[in-house]
Amino acid sequence: MAGDFNTESMLDMYLFENTQLLEQLQETVLEQKDADSFDEDSINEIFRTMHTIKGSSGIMMFDNITAVSHKLEDVFFYLRESHPDNVPHVELVEHVLEVEDFISNEMEKIRNGDPADGDASDIIADLDKFLNMIKNGGADGGAGAPENVHEEPKHFYIAPVASAASRFYKIFIHFFPETEMANVHAYKTVYALKEIAEDILYSPEELLTDEKCGETIIKEGFRVLLQAQCTEEEVRDLIGVGYDIEKVDVFECDANQFLLGFDFGDNEPAPQIDLESSVEVIEAKQEAAQAQEAPKPAEKKPETPKITPGDFVIQSKEPGRQKKLAKDKPKGEKAAFISVNVSKMDQLMDLIGELVISESVVLQSSDLKVPGLNLDNFNKAAAQLASISRDLQNVIMSMRMVPLTNTFQKMNRIVFDVSRKLGKDIEFVMVGDSTEVDKNIIEHISDPLMHLVRNAVDHGIETNEEREASGKAEKGKVTLSAKTEAGKVWISVEDNGTGLNRDKILAKARKQGILDDSKPDSAYTDKEVYQLITLPGFSTNEQVTEYSGRGVGMDVVVQNIQAIGGALEIDSTPGFGSIMSLKIPLTLAIIDGIVMEVGTSSFVMETGVIKQFIRVKQDMMIHEPNGDEFVMIRGECYPVIRLGKWYGLEEYQESVEDGVMLILEVEDRKICLLVDNLVGEQEIVVKPIPSYVKKVRGLSGCTQLGDGSIALILDAPGLVE
Amino acid sequence: MKILLAEDDFATRKFMANFLSKYGECDITVDGMEAVDAFMMALEDKEPYDLICLDIMMPVMDGYQALMGIRNLEKERGVPEEKAVKVIMTTALNEEKNVKMAFELGCTIYSGKPIDQERFEQALKKLNLI
Amino acid sequence: MDETKRLLGQQEEMDDGEDRKNTQRGKYMTFKSGPEYFGLEIQYVQQIIQYQSITKIPETEDYIKGLINLRGKIVPVVDVRLRFKQGEYEHNDKTCILVINVKDSTVGLIVEQIAEVVEIKEENILPPPTIGRGDKGHNKYVYGIGKVGNSVKLLLDPEKLLYDEDTSDTEQIKRVEEE
Repeated sequence: MAGDFNTESMLDMYLFENTQLLEQLQETVLEQKDADSFDEDSINEIFRTMHTIKGSSGIMMFDNITAVSHKLEDVFFYLRESHPDNVPHVELVEHVLEVEDFISNEMEKIRNGDPADGDASDIIADLDKFLNMIKNGGADGGAGAPENVHEEPKHFYIAPVASAASRFYKIFIHFFPETEMANVHAYKTVYALKEIAEDILYSPEELLTDEKCGETIIKEGFRVLLQAQCTEEEVRDLIGVGYDIEKVDVFECDANQFLLGFDFGDNEPAPQIDLESSVEVIEAKQEAAQAQEAPKPAEKKPETPKITPGDFVIQSKEPGRQKKLAKDKPKGEKAAFISVNVSKMDQLMDLIGELVISESVVLQSSDLKVPGLNLDNFNKAAAQLASISRDLQNVIMSMRMVPLTNTFQKMNRIVFDVSRKLGKDIEFVMVGDSTEVDKNIIEHISDPLMHLVRNAVDHGIETNEEREASGKAEKGKVTLSAKTEAGKVWISVEDNGTGLNRDKILAKARKQGILDDSKPDSAYTDKEVYQLITLPGFSTNEQVTEYSGRGVGMDVVVQNIQAIGGALEIDSTPGFGSIMSLKIPLTLAIIDGIVMEVGTSSFVMETGVIKQFIRVKQDMMIHEPNGDEFVMIRGECYPVIRLGKWYGLEEYQESVEDGVMLILEVEDRKICLLVDNLVGEQEIVVKPIPSYVKKVRGLSGCTQLGDGSIALILDAPGLVE
Repeated sequence: MKILLAEDDFATRKFMANFLSKYGECDITVDGMEAVDAFMMALEDKEPYDLICLDIMMPVMDGYQALMGIRNLEKERGVPEEKAVKVIMTTALNEEKNVKMAFELGCTIYSGKPIDQERFEQALKKLNLI
Repeated sequence: MDETKRLLGQQEEMDDGEDRKNTQRGKYMTFKSGPEYFGLEIQYVQQIIQYQSITKIPETEDYIKGLINLRGKIVPVVDVRLRFKQGEYEHNDKTCILVINVKDSTVGLIVEQIAEVVEIKEENILPPPTIGRGDKGHNKYVYGIGKVGNSVKLLLDPEKLLYDEDTSDTEQIKRVEEE
């Protein structure tokens, strides 16, 4: 079925190859969008791409795609042969992108099993006009130019009808033990089902010829695999209720399970796992294998078929049996790559997390705390265990990492489109696009990034006239950058436009009643003001444009980012531009943390943030009249948060002298946190708080401790604010 | 239009014969060997088939072998390309390598099963068969 | 307690996953909360477990009791009585946690007392009580009333049960002010 690359079906290959070609095409075109004209190589590339797409689409009988690529091929054929002058370049670029969009759209429909019914006649008419225009503008007026020759396709491929209507069922029929000649009853059932069956298999098979069959059917039940377009009800109706049938179980399954037949085991040889070599050696082998494969997927030639005529002769087929081939086809060699289901990767990640926790349990076992024990050998072994576990974590994390390049490239296209439509001249710069992030993250930041980029182009950057008027010499620029640091990924969208207008935002917020009337404008810091734009329903735009500013955007952006445990920071300099920064944690983080207790709750905080912990005396505390507290430690004054009080916990220590004060440092700001006591330092697996629970300030996740209990992970920046 | 059908499964055979008879007279065979024989007979009687519909997985001789046989017979008799019989292969196999091999051996249309009847007709029109 | 044990035994059937979904229509897991019986379609029920210690999360709605560790997975837990605004109550040995799966979220429901699995045919399901019959906190989660013999079970829509807001956005915005 479409979408399952493993089977390399004709349709999948068509979609895969052409999608690749189109992506490549878009990149080439965008690279040259600011040039005067396309260079020789690009013209050839575009010509070849269109020729290929035309050919394969012709075979697949996607007539609209064939027609539109045919036309564009003609245009580029003319460009290649005649080298006309004065070709309106930007218009040409737009035409190419228009064609590319149309084809991509159609392929998306095909991928989803919908008909490719797009109408390309407008695009074709435009291209026709364009071609005539450049022909007439040419020195020879278009005459004497060689005509592009098209070959009519000689072969056609018809994809099987979308089996969306076909459903697959596993049916178990149990007959009463006293039933005589159960095999005949079974045969009657099969016969009835054949009325509606697109395909049917059953076991046991020799219904009419093998008498022992009946016994098997009584003992083990009669199994049927059915492909049909009917509902479960209809299946049951056909099987009917007879005096012979005790029970009928019908389960709907999917095509793959149907194709597996009655043999539910996996017949493929397991991929070899190398236990001897170290991680480096395994990685090196992988890279070597990778290097041997064709370097670019776009250049990969399809394998020569390892099949020959005669492979498909079958033993005489009887209905109800899977066709068995007379010749047993040997299994091909396992490739150096296997594609793995993402859920299995998730499972693997979970298991690694469990491993880390188990490791903690072992290493912290109270059995080891017997005084006088010589643990030298144990410690050595424990260190080795820790080292292997860390290697395992690293390899698994690396398996899921994907570079941001594709995501960033999408933004390139958006900047181009939007800026063109708005008549703004905008440059797009990418920095660090090869930064890798977890696959999961990519899926969640694509939309938010798109929104931020659109905002930057639409609202951030002024029109060309405005820029000139305000004396800005350089072109409008949107910079998208990414880097990883301290276990987090930083992605930012920066523009050199007008920046955010603090007063306008405050005014709008006041109007909507969001702000506290008693608090004056000046009491809000810039950062606080900028964050206001992320509230639902907020938009200071008077007009809603097509691209942004419906006021439903920023809050959704923030939600999406928070869903993966990230945060959005907004900074701006009026007149110079704004920076939207996404701060996203790497999904599976295993960090060193300090476990602490407050009341009956356990918390963990990243070790790196805690500068010191000390016991303080009552006289070191300073109490402000408004309730804020501070503490003097060695001449420095720090604000204090009593965690128990802050979170409204129960049974925590009231007196500072009975608790422990932690000095936390976050980006140059220091605060003190009062907790009851410290339990210890250990490696913890960061797990997100289930999304069902709304985000709590100061908490960034949770984890399981060695004893199985759950501890909440404190987020220092959240507390500091 | 004269049509030759080769299909070993009874139910499918009934369905295909029914479906194809809309377009012309349909002769039925049940394996690759019979199909080639029928084709040769028609050639010799100077009433060749216009369209042959071959299943791939069949007993005795599979669809590919039958196709090879048919094309070889045509070459031997000097049948020009425009007059060569159009061959449709029908099968549940959809892998690219199967399709490529079919085209290389001289298949004109490759249709996955279940057959998309609309497109089937569309293809026949493109080949000027109907 | 025996009831719970028996139902815990039924777990094996429920763990069968996707295959069973189509054959589970019309079957409801019922439980008691306050004076009423409620029902939830079996296809949403993953398992039933004993009441266990819950890790509180500060600053959440009162009905979100906290998190539990379910075989390595961290699952949030909701107190049904508080969600229905029926008031707190003492947990006893009949209390258990009904783990449900809705829209890819796994959530545990703390339930006063589990009842049985019943089959209710479509024709025995009546529309829910109209609003105005008193201020029952559970009404908006109920999509129908199922008759079983002489008793009725209020049938719950799991999505509404979990996701419907009962306070407006002012809650969120107030937070911004505090900062």
